[in-house]
Amino acid sequence: MATDQQPSRSRNPIKRGLAWMENLSEEAYAYLLLIPAFLVLAVIAFWPLWRTFKLSLFEDDLFGAAKVGDFVGLQNYIDVLTNQNSLLARPLIDLTGGTPFFRQALLVTIAFAVISVVFETLIGFGQAYIMAKEYRGRRWVRVAIILPWAIPIVIQGMLFYLLFNPSVGFLSGPLQSMGIFGANPLTDSTDAFIITTVADIWKTSAFMALLILAGMQSIDKSLYDVAEVAGASPWQRFRHITLPLILPALLVAMLFRTIDAMRVYGIIEASGAGCGTVPSLSCLVVDTMFGSTQAYASAATVAFITAIVIGIAISVYLLALKFSSRGSYQ
Amino acid sequence: MATIELEHIRKEYGNDIAIEDLNLDIQDGEFVTLVGPSGCGKSTTIETIAGLTKPTSGTVSIGDRDVTKLPPKDRGIAMVFQNIALFPHKDVYDNISFGLQLRKFEKEEIDKRVEKAAETVQLNGMLDRMPSEMSGGQRQRVAIARAIVRQPDAFLMDEPLANLDAELRVHMRTQLQRIHDELDTTIVYVTHDQAQAMTMSDRIAVINDGDLQQFAPPLECYNEPANLFVAGFIGSPAMNFIEGEITDDGFEADAGYIDVEFDPSAVDATVGQQVVLGVRPEHVLPTETATGDVTDSIDTYTDVTEPMGKEIFVYLVTDQSATVDMEDPDAAGQLLMSVGPAADIGEDQPLSVALDKSNLHLFDADSEVAIAHGLAEPAGVDATEDTPASADD
Amino acid sequence: MSHDTQPAGSSDEEQGPFTNWVDSAIKNPKKVYRAMFATVAIFFLFTTLFPLYWLTMIAFSDGSRVSEGVGLLPTGFDPSSFIEIFQQVPFHLYMFNSLVFATLTTVFVLLVASLAGYAFGRLQFRGKRPMMLGVLVISFFPPAAFFIPLFQLFNQQISFLGITPPELYSTPGGVVIPLSAVFLPLAIFILTTFYGQIPDGLEDAARIEGTTRLGALFRVIIPLSAPGVATAGILTFIAVYNEFFFSFLMTGAAAQDWAPIVDGIISYRSQFQVRYDLMAAASIVAVLPVATLVVIAQEKIVSGLTSGALKE
Repeated sequence: MATDQQPSRSRNPIKRGLAWMENLSEEAYAYLLLIPAFLVLAVIAFWPLWRTFKLSLFEDDLFGAAKVGDFVGLQNYIDVLTNQNSLLARPLIDLTGGTPFFRQALLVTIAFAVISVVFETLIGFGQAYIMAKEYRGRRWVRVAIILPWAIPIVIQGMLFYLLFNPSVGFLSGPLQSMGIFGANPLTDSTDAFIITTVADIWKTSAFMALLILAGMQSIDKSLYDVAEVAGASPWQRFRHITLPLILPALLVAMLFRTIDAMRVYGIIEASGAGCGTVPSLSCLVVDTMFGSTQAYASAATVAFITAIVIGIAISVYLLALKFSSRGSYQ
Repeated sequence: MATIELEHIRKEYGNDIAIEDLNLDIQDGEFVTLVGPSGCGKSTTIETIAGLTKPTSGTVSIGDRDVTKLPPKDRGIAMVFQNIALFPHKDVYDNISFGLQLRKFEKEEIDKRVEKAAETVQLNGMLDRMPSEMSGGQRQRVAIARAIVRQPDAFLMDEPLANLDAELRVHMRTQLQRIHDELDTTIVYVTHDQAQAMTMSDRIAVINDGDLQQFAPPLECYNEPANLFVAGFIGSPAMNFIEGEITDDGFEADAGYIDVEFDPSAVDATVGQQVVLGVRPEHVLPTETATGDVTDSIDTYTDVTEPMGKEIFVYLVTDQSATVDMEDPDAAGQLLMSVGPAADIGEDQPLSVALDKSNLHLFDADSEVAIAHGLAEPAGVDATEDTPASADD
Repeated sequence: MSHDTQPAGSSDEEQGPFTNWVDSAIKNPKKVYRAMFATVAIFFLFTTLFPLYWLTMIAFSDGSRVSEGVGLLPTGFDPSSFIEIFQQVPFHLYMFNSLVFATLTTVFVLLVASLAGYAFGRLQFRGKRPMMLGVLVISFFPPAAFFIPLFQLFNQQISFLGITPPELYSTPGGVVIPLSAVFLPLAIFILTTFYGQIPDGLEDAARIEGTTRLGALFRVIIPLSAPGVATAGILTFIAVYNEFFFSFLMTGAAAQDWAPIVDGIISYRSQFQVRYDLMAAASIVAVLPVATLVVIAQEKIVSGLTSGALKE
């Protein structure tokens, strides 16, 4: 009578494998599914990081073939944090005179991250709303909004370099006469900082918008009908339905944007501002590693300090994420 | 068709025991309902039969085949879920035929079967709709069609009507029974709603705290509950319970207001045993109209009356100044009575009632197991003792 | 979301002067929202599109006159830069390389992240939080922190656990493998969020109907999470296509060495002259495939809307 049964034993190894997976406990099945991801991450991420970490425990030997000298333990970390490491790449202009250079890079990085993430979130929300509504031509509006995200960083950098270039672009003149920018904005640290931040917001708001949009579209539409029948204004609908339900997706988006912003490097170089003018932590790593000194150990040290700084910032999000998931469907 | 047999099923989640040691033997073509309060283990039981949950120990057999280690798809079962669980990205046709498509049936065969299943649940002409375009009842019928289209050995239904409104639920209940009559397939049905359990099943399995309490036809569970839990769970409104003790001449309530005369030795009770007397509301009778073998009159006062249409619920208290504690229906000194709609009973009136002795239940207070059902003196046995109480009548 | 969807003006008869509009707006606040919506939409379109418009104007300018300044119209008019970009270097090959990287990485990342996202989002197991944190921590590090060991590994200078991989430098593998690891955490987190929201009943139903556990993931969970999967896919594809660090450093500079578009664009910057018009034209050409992808994939995102009653 059983019309829909297959023999439970099969010669086909794929079928046997699937049958074996069916009988795994939930826990074992979960570990099995995680193997590919962790295999990749182990070889390509954890292992190189381990080697880089070991590197950071040795002395720099700039003239030796191996580039690395004796084991010094955490001395590199102490030197960097107390600003005694003479091998770190130096800025062309020391902006604040006395401020230790590492702390200066830290300040630039944090300021960049906070400003860009706040603006990208707000703009991303607005853009997601525009993309979610139904109207004729929405497809093209969506494409237009996503397009900046599709611009290679090299081009994004060039674009903003040219826009603010005193001879090619037309923005630098008016801004200069309004007293906002100096004569050559890209060589002035404050002006260049603003330009790179604006460039980043221009390009990356679409990232936030896409994730927020995807979150919005997983919301059951009938909830909005219920709310509208109950007389909720658009703002109340946003406040009581949209926001809480997309919060997990929103926090994931903000989390990764924050991580990315705190590693900012590409746009600084590509916009022509350069690491000397807008020194971020990543700038410090790259310049120390690939610059004239090639101080690998010092660069590795700064890389790990950068990761720790980001880790501290991210733990705030993780707490929020943990908190928000309590209200979810699970 | 197939029998379903659970042997010594035990399921632990970490340190929690969901099912202790469950044995269940379901006959071919039988409609069996698992009933119990939420969290009692009935859903775990049906998931174990389905294969969605693996038991910690024990075996599951379907049609004499040990399926304990088989995945759900190879067990020859179909299931209808409480949340209906239609695939929102597939239309009705694809939802119904999903299982057949997975099993690589011929297109014509699929068409034929889907057509027939849709006819059975009266869904003709809706095959190209999306689930989001249908009402709750229609969706549930799609879910049922999805189950019957595969002609499985057994249907498993986990609270399939819980999300429907009352009217629709009654309607679907009859439809399910009709489908069962038509297909004659074994059905295991889970519900916490005893009205569904009573009306549809051949047998019901009452489960509490992961233990099978009673497995019997609905009326047997109603008339001869195996223990206090079944007695309290089956029947609405619930049975009245009165705590008391066995005396030489029968039962005496701890609170003193009820005596029931019978011969303790005839029902296997010992004098001094702590017991619980159970009486259903419809077996509490106003003394005036009481006929047959009834207990002595109990003086009570009516507190609240609830006319339900075909019957009236009357909440009685033995102490005039007391009010009924709805939170604790078994509190001493209160009784629930159910009388016919013609009865003229006002609130806050004195009322003399008696209990129908042939429908009294006696349970051991410690083990909660039933001692006796019906305390009427068997005909021909001489009631030798003439107690002062009976002389009052 | 779908209630005030008609374009402004089509639903009402009143198309009169401003006062009429204000009157009707007071009676019908939806009109105000609609006007606000249109304003905001135009603002966003302007800010996102204007720099690209200007980039196009540079591309159309006469290469030798760009340094004089480019306003709202090209300085001089010379559309030949769109041809010249292919004459100077095989730019289409650079694009092809980047497309290969992006496609391979996206497929690989979506597959691996789907399995992991399913485990993290839908299964209970010990060590879940530490493992998720482990995935996340990887993205804390500047790419440079991975670079040297990987560079040595791909050039066969060192071995991993005694295994020396084939020489991956200047092959798609040399780019795709590290970028997969770089973009994996984001995809895992996105998919975890979306997969976790699918009701359990649907997965159970699929398994009863005849799929395996793995089959339920591909037949039910993933299709129902289409907005999330498409989003993760778009973000990964575009990010890899435009990636700067690994794709630049793990390949040679020539198109035959699997150099990506970044190398192509930079090649218009010679020692003596920077051809902004060529760089602009090349960028516009390079963006076209991505724009096409966005058009196609965003339809997939919209399809999430029609799936409707996803939640119980």
